[in-house]
Amino acid sequence: MTKQQKEVTLLLIEDDDVDAMSITRAFKKLCLGNTIIRATDGLHGLELLRSGAVPSPYIILLDLQMPRLNGLEFLEKIRQDPQLDKSIVFVLTTSKSDKDITASYQKNIAGYFIKDQVGDGFLDIVKVLKGYWKIVLFSES
Amino acid sequence: MKNSAIEVTHADIKRQKLIAASRLHDIHWLILMLSTLLTIGAWYIASAQVNKRVAERFERESFLVIELVKERMQLYEHALWGAVAHVDASEGDITDQQWKNYSNSLRIEQTYPGINGLGLIYNVKFDQHDSFLLQQQKSRPNFSIHPLYPDQELWPITFTEPLLTNKQAVGLNVAFEKNRYLGVKKARDTGLAQLTGPITLVQDTKQTPGFLFYAPFYNKGLPHNSIDTRQASIKGVAYAPFIMSQLISGTLAAKQRHVSLDISDEGKSLYNDINNVDSIEIDANPLFIKHIYVNFYGREWKFIVRSNLFFREASGSNQPYFILAGGVIIDLLILALFIVLSRANKQALIYADDITQELKIGTQRLLSSNQDLEQFAYVASHDLKSPLNAIKKLASWITEDCESLLPESSKKHLALLQSRTNRMNRLLDDLLDYSRIGQHEYKPQEFDLAIIANDIFSLLDHPTNFNLSVEKQTLLLPRTPIEIILRNLLSNAVKHHDKPTGHITILYKKINKMHHISVQDDGPGIPPELFDKALEMFQTLRPRDKVEGSGMGLSLSKKTIKYYDGSLTIDSDGVRGTTIVLLWPITTKI
Repeated sequence: MTKQQKEVTLLLIEDDDVDAMSITRAFKKLCLGNTIIRATDGLHGLELLRSGAVPSPYIILLDLQMPRLNGLEFLEKIRQDPQLDKSIVFVLTTSKSDKDITASYQKNIAGYFIKDQVGDGFLDIVKVLKGYWKIVLFSES
Repeated sequence: MKNSAIEVTHADIKRQKLIAASRLHDIHWLILMLSTLLTIGAWYIASAQVNKRVAERFERESFLVIELVKERMQLYEHALWGAVAHVDASEGDITDQQWKNYSNSLRIEQTYPGINGLGLIYNVKFDQHDSFLLQQQKSRPNFSIHPLYPDQELWPITFTEPLLTNKQAVGLNVAFEKNRYLGVKKARDTGLAQLTGPITLVQDTKQTPGFLFYAPFYNKGLPHNSIDTRQASIKGVAYAPFIMSQLISGTLAAKQRHVSLDISDEGKSLYNDINNVDSIEIDANPLFIKHIYVNFYGREWKFIVRSNLFFREASGSNQPYFILAGGVIIDLLILALFIVLSRANKQALIYADDITQELKIGTQRLLSSNQDLEQFAYVASHDLKSPLNAIKKLASWITEDCESLLPESSKKHLALLQSRTNRMNRLLDDLLDYSRIGQHEYKPQEFDLAIIANDIFSLLDHPTNFNLSVEKQTLLLPRTPIEIILRNLLSNAVKHHDKPTGHITILYKKINKMHHISVQDDGPGIPPELFDKALEMFQTLRPRDKVEGSGMGLSLSKKTIKYYDGSLTIDSDGVRGTTIVLLWPITTKI
C-alpha cells in the first residue's frame, strides 16, 4: 500500500452553503484534518485551480447544478486543460438524471453521489473519499 | 401512442384511396362511353325498326292504291261487257231510245263513279255511210258523222249517255284521232277490252287528260276467234270515255290516300296529284318514291307513287327520339352521379384533412403542455426539495450540537421538525412520480409475480409477524409499473394494519382476456362510503400523525394501471379485511 506524500486537499465546488457545511461537519466528525477549499461555482473553482491556490494532491468534489459555470461545463473545461485534465473528480449532486450521470462519466469522473440518497450527513461520502485517497495512487502533475 | 407507426400507414393508404376516388378515372369514362354507345345503338335499332315499318307501310299503300285503280278499271270493263251483252242479246239494232233505257236503268253515275259516259261506236264501212245515217236520222234528225275522211271506214260514236255531258261526242268519228283509232282497232283485233292512250275528250271543257275504254262486239253468228275473223266480223265497240281526274275520285280521292299519284302513259301525263288545286297533302320531299309499271288493257301505265304529308304525319314516330332522349338523360345522370360521387369523396378528403390538421394541432398542444407539466413537476419537486434537505440537515445539526443545552420540549419540537420535513420530502417524491406516469411506456416483460412480490415485501419496513403469501405465476406485463403498484399496496396493507400480526395474500386468476390480481389483507378494512375518497390524491384515511403517508399511493396506483387500460377497485366491508383488485388486459408477445 502506497500513501500520498502529502495530505490530500479537497476542493469543494458547491454553491449551497448548507451542503458545504455538511461536508465540513462530516470531515470533523471523522476527525479528518484535510484542507477543504471551497468554491461557490464552477468559474470560481476554475480560477482557484488555475491560480495555483489548490495544492496537489487534490480531489475535487463537484456539484452539477451551479450558476455561472455548472458542473458539466466545468468538467469540460478542466479536461481540455493539460494542467488540470488529470484531476480526480467526484460528482455530488441532487440530479438522478441518467443523462447527467452518463455525461459526467463520459468526462471521466471517479464516482457519482446523489445527495439525498446518502444517509446521515454525507458521512458515507467522506468515508469513501478517505478510503479512496488512502489506497489510490494519484498522478504527479 | 402504442401503435401510432402502424396507424399512420393505414391512414396513409386510406387517404391515397380517397384521393384516387375523388377523380374520374378511365373506368368512369369507359362506363359512360359504353352507356352512350348503348343509347346510340338502341336509338339506331329503334329508328331502323320504325323505318322498316314505314317502308312496309308505303309498299302496302302503293300496292293498295294500284289495286284500287285496277278494281276501278275492272268495274268499268264489266260495264262495257254489260253493254256488249246488251247489244248481243238485242233482237235487232239498238236504237237510241233503247240505249237511253239501258243506261238509265244502269244508273251509270251511281254504279260506275268516275265514268264520264257509256256508249256504242259502230263500225261503218265507207260505202255503208249513207244507209247508216238514214237509219240514225230516223230518231235523231240532226245526227251526222264528223269528221269525214274519204275512202276510210268510219267509227262514229253512235250512242252515248248521259247525253247532257257528252253532247259533243255524238257522231264523232273516233278515227279522226290517232289514239282513239288505234285503240278501237286493237279492241277489234284482240277481242278484248282495250284502252286508248292519253287523249283529251271533246266533252271536257277543261281539256284535262282522259282516255277511252273499248270492248268490241261482233256480228252475230260470225266467228271472231282470230284477227282475220275478227276484222271481218267487227260490228262495233262499246265505249266509255274517262276524264282521268274524275276517275281518281271517290275511294281514290287524294284525301283518302297517304300516297300521291303521278300516272303517265308513254310519257304523257294522265294524272298528277300536283295539278289538283286542293292538294294540301303533297309532300315536297316525299319519304318514299316508287315507280311501278302496270299493264292496263293494252296500255302500260307508269305510276310514280310518292308518300304524301298524311303519310309523313302517320309514320312519324317519336319512339326512337324518346329512346335517344331517355338514353342521353340516363348518360347525363350517370355522369352527374360520377361527378357528385367524386366531389363527395373530394369533400370527404378535405374534411378528413381538416380534421387531421385540427387533431395534429390539438395533439401538438397537448404534447407540449404535457412536456411543460413534466418540466414543471420535475423542477418544482427538485427545487422544493433542495431547501427542504437543508432544513433537515440544519435541524439535525442543532439537535446534535445542542444535545446538552436544549430543554425536552425543544428536543421534541426539533423531532417534529424532522418528521415534517420527511413528510414533505415524501410528498414531493410521490407528486413527482404521479406526474411522471404516462411519460414513459414500459414494455411487457416476463417475470414471476411471487418473486417480485416477495422482493418488494422484504424491502418494506414490516414487523416480523407479518407475512405474505403469493403463488408462483409467470406473467407477461410491464414490470416496473407492477412493482410500483405492488409496493404501494403492500406498504398500505402494512401501514394501516391495526394488529401486531398480519397476513397479506396475493391471488391471481385469468378472467376473459384480463389478468385478475387481488391483494388482500386482514387489516381494519375501508368503509365502503370512503372507497372513492381513498383513491383521491393526497387523501389519507388516517391522520398523518398516526399513519405516515402522502395519500398518493392509491391514486398513483390507479393512474398507473389506467394508463395501461386496466382498472383498480377496492373491496371491503369496512370491518375487517381489504382487497384491492387489479384488472390488467392480457398482452400477447408482439
